[in-house]
Amino acid sequence: MSRIAAYLRIPGTAMEGIEDFEAATELCRARGWGDGLPIVPPTAQRVEKMLEYCDRPWDQSIASVPPRDGAATPLRLAANAVMAGCRPEYFPLLMLAVEAMCEKPLNLYGLQTTTHPVAPLVIVNGPVAQELDINAGHNAFGPGRQANATIGRAIRLALLNIGGAIPTVGDMATMGQPGKYSYLVAENEAANPWEPLHVERGFARETSTVTIVGAEGPHNINDHESITAEGVLRMTCGTVAITGSNNAYYAGEPLIAFGPEHAATVAAGGYSKTDVKRHIFEHATVALGSFSPENIGRRFRVKFAERYAGASLDARVPMAQRAEDIMIVVLGGAGKHSMYIPTFGETRSVTRALELADGTPARSVQAFRRS
Amino acid sequence: MAALRKRGLVTAVICSTPFEKLGRAQARVLGVPDLPLVMIQHPLGGLGMDDVRARAAQATRAVIALLQERVA
Repeated sequence: MSRIAAYLRIPGTAMEGIEDFEAATELCRARGWGDGLPIVPPTAQRVEKMLEYCDRPWDQSIASVPPRDGAATPLRLAANAVMAGCRPEYFPLLMLAVEAMCEKPLNLYGLQTTTHPVAPLVIVNGPVAQELDINAGHNAFGPGRQANATIGRAIRLALLNIGGAIPTVGDMATMGQPGKYSYLVAENEAANPWEPLHVERGFARETSTVTIVGAEGPHNINDHESITAEGVLRMTCGTVAITGSNNAYYAGEPLIAFGPEHAATVAAGGYSKTDVKRHIFEHATVALGSFSPENIGRRFRVKFAERYAGASLDARVPMAQRAEDIMIVVLGGAGKHSMYIPTFGETRSVTRALELADGTPARSVQAFRRS
Repeated sequence: MAALRKRGLVTAVICSTPFEKLGRAQARVLGVPDLPLVMIQHPLGGLGMDDVRARAAQATRAVIALLQERVA
């Protein structure tokens, strides 16, 4: 008898009628579970197959998911992974992402419950991205790859079903955004003229990591004409400098995802990643007078009194509190586009390495497979 | 607030109407399902000072009632 069959004999752990696709989808609809899309029925057999790639005890929580503080056990995560359409080999990355997003600096409670349209964006670095065929190139934020679509969806299902981020009960987003269905990409390290995100954060290039960002949806930066670093950065700064962003008055970490062609132009101009951050910090600014009088009088002059209490309306307001808070990644394919992704206000991104339960770095997801 | 409630102090969370379900769910999660929620009219952001004072007066009345209830 399988381990999961023994577990399912415990009262309250199994459900009748879950094997049938239509019945399972209807059950979710009737109970208010899930994201509204049809699900793959989480049968014992499928869940057990998912757990073949888990090296932890199946019923011991790896994280507490707010706002319900639901226990994220591998068993529950595996059921959500099945429902989302994940392949079993994706499971170690899903576990890692959920663990990382429950770390305190991200402020998942805030992300889950806020009226602000934000979701945990997962950026994958290292060899696992290629191993799992996670899209880092053309249409990386769009449809087409099973890994991006279903790992991202499994995260959302976990946030809903385990964390209780049910709209109007545990998720008060005024409008939400499409990234709340699935929001996972890999960095295009091969096309990155700078060090990739995980290397910048102190990890070895061959280490696989996830970085979780409390992110709004991406906004395009179209620049087909600039042929200098300064030109591309000028267009970038023009897109980043906006009045309606939390990053103007909180300590978040606005993210610029440079397309490879823009990144190459900027790097060819001699700009390091640190230079780019400094440039954006200094030039992506909005005149204080561009904000409404209420925002100037009730927010800037009070919250940042030391900077703006007596400042003229020509004073420049940056889109981050410090240059180093600006995050830079490179992804996407051919074309003259980059993306600006503002973040939640009270959040810091979290980067975690893919490791086995004993802390050994995992070079491949196959290391998690039970023999 | 939940910790104060568990210590037996008179406590209440003031929240605007659309957040009532979230408030009640959180009170349950935090182990204080009977935590009083003092409801005030939404919105809270973007109000002039007169409206802010009106919300405060509304909440103050409810908080005083809670305290009197405890004394009684």
